[in-house]
Amino acid sequence: MKRRWWVPYAFLALPLTMYVIWVIIPIFQTFVFSFTDWDGVSPTYHFIGFENYKEIFSDPYFMLSLKNNIKWLLAFVFLSVPAGLGVAILLDQKFPGGKVYKTMMYLPMTLSFVVIGQIWSWILEPKYGALNTFLRTIGLSNLAKPWLSDPGVVTYALIAAASWRQIAYAMVLFLAGLKNVPRDLVEAAYVDGANSWQRFWYVILPLLRPAMVIAITVSVIDSLRAFDIVYVLTRGGPFYSSSVLANYMYIQSFHNYRMGFGASIAVVQFLITFGFILLYLLNVFKREEKF
Amino acid sequence: MRKFLIVLMVVLALFVFAKQKIVLNSYASDPAPKKALAELVKMFEEKYPDYEVVVNTFAHEDFKTLLRTWLNSPDAPDVVTWFAGERMRYFASKGLLEPLDDVFTDKSFDSYFPAAFKSSCEYEGKIYFLPQSWYWWGVYYRKSVFEKYGLKTPKTWEEFLKVCEILKNNGITPIAIGTKYLWTAAGWFDYLNMRINGLEFHKKLTAGEIPYTDPRVKKVFDYWKVLVEKGYFLENHPSYSWQEAASFLFRGEAGMYLMGQFIKDVAPEEVKNDLDFFRFPIIDEKVGLYEDTPIDGFMIPAKAKHKEAAKFFLKFIASKEAQEFYAKSLGRLAANKNVPAPDAHAEKGLKMILASDGVMQFYDRDTNPEMATVGMNGFVEFMVYPNNIDKILENLEKARKRIFKK
Amino acid sequence: MKRRIMKGTIFYVLSTILVITWMLPFFIAFFTSLKSMDEIMIGKGWWYPPKAWKWDNYKTAWVDANMKRYFLNSFIITVPSVLGALFVSSLSAFALSWYEFRLNKPILMIFVGGMLIPFQMLLIPVYRFSVNTGLYDTYLGVILFHIAFQTGFCTFFLRNFMLTIPKSLFEAAKIDGAGDFMIYRKIIMPLVVPALAALGILEFTWIWNDYLWSLVLIQSDRIKPVTLGLTNLQGQWITSWNIIAAASILAALVPIFVFLVFQRYFIEGLTMGSVKG
Repeated sequence: MKRRWWVPYAFLALPLTMYVIWVIIPIFQTFVFSFTDWDGVSPTYHFIGFENYKEIFSDPYFMLSLKNNIKWLLAFVFLSVPAGLGVAILLDQKFPGGKVYKTMMYLPMTLSFVVIGQIWSWILEPKYGALNTFLRTIGLSNLAKPWLSDPGVVTYALIAAASWRQIAYAMVLFLAGLKNVPRDLVEAAYVDGANSWQRFWYVILPLLRPAMVIAITVSVIDSLRAFDIVYVLTRGGPFYSSSVLANYMYIQSFHNYRMGFGASIAVVQFLITFGFILLYLLNVFKREEKF
Repeated sequence: MRKFLIVLMVVLALFVFAKQKIVLNSYASDPAPKKALAELVKMFEEKYPDYEVVVNTFAHEDFKTLLRTWLNSPDAPDVVTWFAGERMRYFASKGLLEPLDDVFTDKSFDSYFPAAFKSSCEYEGKIYFLPQSWYWWGVYYRKSVFEKYGLKTPKTWEEFLKVCEILKNNGITPIAIGTKYLWTAAGWFDYLNMRINGLEFHKKLTAGEIPYTDPRVKKVFDYWKVLVEKGYFLENHPSYSWQEAASFLFRGEAGMYLMGQFIKDVAPEEVKNDLDFFRFPIIDEKVGLYEDTPIDGFMIPAKAKHKEAAKFFLKFIASKEAQEFYAKSLGRLAANKNVPAPDAHAEKGLKMILASDGVMQFYDRDTNPEMATVGMNGFVEFMVYPNNIDKILENLEKARKRIFKK
Repeated sequence: MKRRIMKGTIFYVLSTILVITWMLPFFIAFFTSLKSMDEIMIGKGWWYPPKAWKWDNYKTAWVDANMKRYFLNSFIITVPSVLGALFVSSLSAFALSWYEFRLNKPILMIFVGGMLIPFQMLLIPVYRFSVNTGLYDTYLGVILFHIAFQTGFCTFFLRNFMLTIPKSLFEAAKIDGAGDFMIYRKIIMPLVVPALAALGILEFTWIWNDYLWSLVLIQSDRIKPVTLGLTNLQGQWITSWNIIAAASILAALVPIFVFLVFQRYFIEGLTMGSVKG
């Protein structure tokens, strides 16, 4: 019985159409704007070719933002994802009250960014904030820095605040993934004499692959797209030292009335992210074929 | 046939009795102004029952972003709140605003508002902005703190420095400031520039006609540097929003804050009466007294659907009755010159302004929006790294050249 | 037995430390919601408990700040959006995971690619589109947008989970004569319930807390969701942090509740039995 060729397309019709209308076409429009000098307000604009792109690559603030995004990327992928995994495994044990813990760990994702930002700025406040007060109490006063106004540490402070939420996100993904790990396989390994670490590394981890792929993809995307925490806590300051691409783009487009220039930043950001993801996913697909 | 007639009657009735709708988008999200505006709207609807005003309120920052999109949309609101000065002119120059001269056919602009306001409300000879209220900036201070150390409000720069020194020696931060959102630093720039170089110079500079590398501009920063290097400003000010920095003033840990009148709105009850202000100190006797007096009010988008109704509404807003009500509820100064100051504090502010030789709107309302962002970032950078001033000024100049193409 | 006790102790100790540290910002939010504005402006103990517990901040948030209306709007927007997104993307995930056809990978990349763009850049084009189609300032406009926008991530997510289902099930059903849509409905969908649950939680939280798109696509106060209503409390000069904190906590209760309800499906582990086959 030959499979009807149009079946997958029938399934794809609705989702793809909606997606193209609301997402893909706007993306193309953004591409177009990046070649103009549109200020976002005037009814008219001019095509200026690659002028915006030329300006980007000689713009020190753009480079600074990009560097910061890389820091975010490394932190999210190599800290938040493993931390989320660790928390998921810790909390997934069969002990009474586990559910309560899981719910409480999930809470960071339920608060709006505006509030999260304000609370973290209180925690990080140099004179009376919770963090510095704690550090001074345990005798580590020299670590009590002005987190949000010292250009040297501000990005790390922001990443910490964002990770608070990101780890919860990763935890949820891994909790779902852990449900796909059949208990008896793990039991079998235990019976075979494997210790906890070996059980984890050789049995559980490979079965978590779908969740891992999503967690890493999401972390890469979120880190390169980071905006809310930065905008709310520092606006990219002090003077751009904590700026990230999305923040810089927003300020150029909406504060400086340079929509065309902002669009070009967005395009570059998109291409970089796409590049990373493409590399990662191609790798994953290759392994899927073997599966 | 009868049914048709009934339907026709109903439709006609709806038309005839339908209220004229006015959509007003406002950024007045603070509780007191929001309430005052709602009551103004009610007053208007009661006086003119043929009209219905729908007020949509937005957070301040969001409003600024969205205004751009609204002005260009075929679904534009009929009236929007906004600022006078360059911020308004930017849109007027792109043909996005409706001229308001019709509102003043029977009574001229000057009969309602001080002549000094006109230049901030017009573009190329036409009025585009209807002023509602304004406020002044001054150096706010804690009376009790000054009393404790036997300090008198300084009139000159030298006296001011002395006051700072005494405060500092007693463990009080002389000057509170929160530069997280940048504009508070611009206040210092404005005042220092106006005291040192005068109004005409400041006007030209904000209009992009004077290079930022001009030695007269540098002079401003030389005076500013003194304050920075002596450590008179609040430590780690870039971490604080203006509101958070004000807490230091309220707790008595700081002595002074160069700020707009609204700081009194926010002060806790126990501190309110202990707050007073003085005019920014005089640096050069020969230079006139100039102040920042930002003006708030309304505009009509060119693409608004109910322009006549909107203009009618604005006429009401300009009236003494409406202006007096609004000013009284908030302790602000009404733009309408026939309205008396609502309280002693406002009276003092008004007196100070009337005794001045000229006013500006505030750096980020007087200059091009992009220049404002670049400029303010430069000011804050200077306050943290004062020795970078030459490089900072060069960057500002590069931006100025590109933005103003002069 | 001893091993179990030791394991248990480690579990409880670690988990408790972890959770308390993690909850600190929440405690701060809670304390803030109970303070008076004056106490906040004096501002020293931002993270201390309030001097006087002003419970009527919550009443103020609900009534004066109109949270009642905004809550209703949030529900009207979020529920259809989540259901719509889950349904629509399950179709595309099914197609992309089970069928081999030339355009499979490119179409997948289209879905993934759309996830990468920084949202802010889509603001203006999407705004103009909704104004031109009359969808501006309507519930439908926002719902359609959310469904479409979330389809990218949801398709990617569900496809990945669907891949873990053995092909043999699919083949067996086909041999039994089941039509493709039957297979989708009766066999595959029930198997991805845990994934749908997890995704549903994430989507619900995400759309419930969405701020940017509601900001762009909604103008009238009467259809604003909670997130926009919250920012109305952010004044030009002052921000009523205490009311905002109270309102935020009220707003957060809903996604928390959703998480509690759907978490059950994780735990049931329905997949295990049938998949092993």
